[in-house]
Amino acid sequence: MRIFLFMVIGLCLFASDATLEIVKSADNRPGIALQDASTFGNDLVKQKFFKLIVGDLKVSAHFKVDSTYRYSEYESIVDPMLKSGDYLIRYRFREGSSQALFMDMRAYALPAADIIYERSYRVTNRARYPFLVHQAIIDFNDFLKMPSVAWMKRYVIFSEYTKPKHSDIVVADYTLTYRKTLVSGGLNIFPKWADRQQRGIYYTKIGRLRPILYYYNIYTGKQHKVASSDGMLVCSDVSRDGKRLLLTMAPNGQPDVYQYDTTSGLKQRLTFYPGIDVSANYIDGEKRIVFVSDRLGYPNIFASKIGSRAVEQIVFHGKNNNACSAHGKYIVYSSRESDNAFSSNTFNLYLISTQTDYIRRLTASGVNQFPKFSDDGESVIYIKHYASQSALGIIRLDYNEGFLFPLKGRRIQSIDW
Amino acid sequence: MKKSWIIAAIAAAMLMTGCSQKEPEVDMTKQTASQESVAEPITEADSVVGTIAGGEESSDISSLTENSRMAQIKELEAQAKKIYFDFDKYNIRPDQEPRVDYDANLFSSDTAKDLTIKVEGNCDEWGTDEYNYALGLKRARSVRDALTVRGIDKNRMVLISYGESNPVCTEHNRECWRKNRRVEFELLP
Repeated sequence: MRIFLFMVIGLCLFASDATLEIVKSADNRPGIALQDASTFGNDLVKQKFFKLIVGDLKVSAHFKVDSTYRYSEYESIVDPMLKSGDYLIRYRFREGSSQALFMDMRAYALPAADIIYERSYRVTNRARYPFLVHQAIIDFNDFLKMPSVAWMKRYVIFSEYTKPKHSDIVVADYTLTYRKTLVSGGLNIFPKWADRQQRGIYYTKIGRLRPILYYYNIYTGKQHKVASSDGMLVCSDVSRDGKRLLLTMAPNGQPDVYQYDTTSGLKQRLTFYPGIDVSANYIDGEKRIVFVSDRLGYPNIFASKIGSRAVEQIVFHGKNNNACSAHGKYIVYSSRESDNAFSSNTFNLYLISTQTDYIRRLTASGVNQFPKFSDDGESVIYIKHYASQSALGIIRLDYNEGFLFPLKGRRIQSIDW
Repeated sequence: MKKSWIIAAIAAAMLMTGCSQKEPEVDMTKQTASQESVAEPITEADSVVGTIAGGEESSDISSLTENSRMAQIKELEAQAKKIYFDFDKYNIRPDQEPRVDYDANLFSSDTAKDLTIKVEGNCDEWGTDEYNYALGLKRARSVRDALTVRGIDKNRMVLISYGESNPVCTEHNRECWRKNRRVEFELLP
């Protein structure tokens, strides 16, 4: 009985540790095929819609997706050749009045070909079509009682370089397919969601003489100044209740981490090293912070308890670990695997836990930067750079799966999910 | 008799001259006033322009004098030497010291000594996120401290980091990255 209990507890512990890589021996996920019955759009547009639906289904990691593009009439009978999978999704994009766009989605259970699910969706502006797709996949996933993928509806906020000393703040869907510029003119950097409901953001505008931190309401477009500092000012994390911020400020040109109370306006200095201390994130119930520091002569990840000057080295691997993001007890960081000033470098992402010594490598090659946890901590978003183009990457930690969405000619400064 | 008349005439003339010397201001004023009053009628060149509604008026007359100073400032800025840094480093290399000396002399010259110096730190594309901006700032601070040691008032200088946002070279090669890891200056009146 004791042995049995140990086994159960052991299994529970391992199951809840995301730093352990999950290696599946068999793929038991339901197979799903798609059929396009759209009356809207040319072939190019239809391909875009199809790829987005396939992408959402794959990123959910709940299905074995057949990526073959097939066309069908919406009301035609199901082709017997398709009946080897578990579900067939037939969808139809159709034009509405003005700029409206409709999406009808029907699911058949195979091999019986019974209609088990049918919904219709609409957007008033067709530019918002990615949200049609995301909502449809979220609902179908819920209908099958799979773990929620409601995070697909959450916005991504990023800063994008437009020309030297100029960058815009842009809000986007999680695939960066839909985009809307919120702030432009001058250098606008390091956008960070101000609350879990995604009503507002903090961002830094580099003024003529000093950086200024603004709060910007994405629904009213109104903004107000929060703080300013000599040299550098970045909001690197926001507490879960939105009342405390972790700021990097540099009075006298010395970058250190500060905690800022949004209610009282009081600032508390948290790091004291005369080098570089940046990118602080709350960990362990927001009682501690993790941050990037060059106190060993190269950038690495450290932690300290809020209110204490004692600092603990968190990562004992890599030559140059210069960016991190945290969620609860988990920390994801970017590590430069080569130390070369004269040719391409490799940056990989790693996941660690404050509770264990395991390190899980999340990427295998290329330049992988700007890792950010999703709000639920189950996924990591990042930017992957190739020689001539970049891609947005998503890693589904619990499923050990990664996906890339191409970004054509965009230079991302910073991103938050 | 004749002689006495001549002397009297000279004395009278001197007296009159003396009197006239006391009144030139009054006379001149009167003369100017009378000249204006008798001059040709003046055409009001802005009689129509002056009736246009709207806010403050401006032309380049006010900026013409400032422009020459701004041109001088831009000339000084162009003369200033950029300070270059090693990969991932913010200490000033020995080979850059003469360039800092040159900049210190330039900024303490008569034409520059009243100007505020914006010390701008820049990085190559290899850093990420906040660390790169902090690296740019530490480079700017190193240069500020080096200039302070050379006699430039610390309070004249402001530091700012542009991270990797302000490349002077956008190709992906070592020569470009070397050019982008730099501190440069903007001079402000």
